[in-house]
Amino acid sequence: MSSFTRSAQQWATFARSWFVIDARMQPPGKIATMCSVRLQGKHKPIYHALSDCGDHVVVINTKHIAFSGNKWEQKVYSSHTGYPGGFKQVTAAQLHQKDPKAIVKLAVYGMLPKNLHRRTMMQRLHIFADDELPEDIRANLTEELAQPRKIPRKLSEYTQEEIDAFPRLWTPYHYTFK
Amino acid sequence: MAARSVLKSVCTSLAGLKLGASGSNVSALQRINVPQLSALTIQSRGIRQVVEKQEGKTTTVEGRSVEVPAGPQPPNPTAKCPIYRWNLQHKYNYTDVLLLSQFIRSDGGMLPRKITGLCAEEHRKIAVCVQMAHRAGLLPDHRPKLPEGHVPKKAKPQLNRVNQAIWLHLLECHHSVHPGSQ
Repeated sequence: MSSFTRSAQQWATFARSWFVIDARMQPPGKIATMCSVRLQGKHKPIYHALSDCGDHVVVINTKHIAFSGNKWEQKVYSSHTGYPGGFKQVTAAQLHQKDPKAIVKLAVYGMLPKNLHRRTMMQRLHIFADDELPEDIRANLTEELAQPRKIPRKLSEYTQEEIDAFPRLWTPYHYTFK
Repeated sequence: MAARSVLKSVCTSLAGLKLGASGSNVSALQRINVPQLSALTIQSRGIRQVVEKQEGKTTTVEGRSVEVPAGPQPPNPTAKCPIYRWNLQHKYNYTDVLLLSQFIRSDGGMLPRKITGLCAEEHRKIAVCVQMAHRAGLLPDHRPKLPEGHVPKKAKPQLNRVNQAIWLHLLECHHSVHPGSQ
């Protein structure tokens, strides 16, 4: 630390960074926990709830999000319009069709602390359904975060050499008669 | 008609195996390597490829022997189930698509146990792993064939799914290993 000037160290500690997360084939809950940790500033040793030390987080490819189990059909998002008879319930699949950003947005909103800072933290969260970013946001990005889940390889993604290198486990000749 | 009867005779001549008459099974067999024959296996003529030639009014259907070099030998050749032969009992998962794709048909269904030689337990495990792989979208080319001219009415939304369950045997190390027996 002795090689840094005071002003450089001050800037490096208190600057607001911009993180980017790729949500392709990832469970939205895991993406949301990573976002909420960084929006609050809890990944920094200088964290304090009142010191406004949260960073910006950009989530891309949210339309390729992947739920586990049968949550696409079973998870229900409810809301009420305020008018009588206005209780609306939609499944995750229907909500995703209407708005591909909504699932991640609601997940992060539910994971942030329930105080007045939540709205400012949500303003620092930027969600995009595909990987096209506006130029000004792209210029601000500082770090890309690793995806929480390792994506398994499809059979079509293996090269022909890899498929040939894998040994054949059985042939018809191993069948013996009685 | 003549071709189908010749195909049937090729099928029956392959040491009495009861194969389905669908073309996909036979074409899958044609791509399989011929292993080195030991004294225990029954002598057979080898895999042949059916070649059809049309010269004017004569159609010649010929079965040409395919010379395929033998692949690597399994570490445990005396076992009866292919998984036990290669010592992969508790080592595979739904993500090992190269392994699973050897036991499925082109439309995604499992091959019968009598043909692959798997023991009952491993056949069930592989069937479950294949179902998980289909659900995760890891086998995109093994889809059921739709009838020709079939146009889907509404485009189904492409929803990605995640399989969370790892095969339980990978987590438990104390499982008694028994030699595959029929």
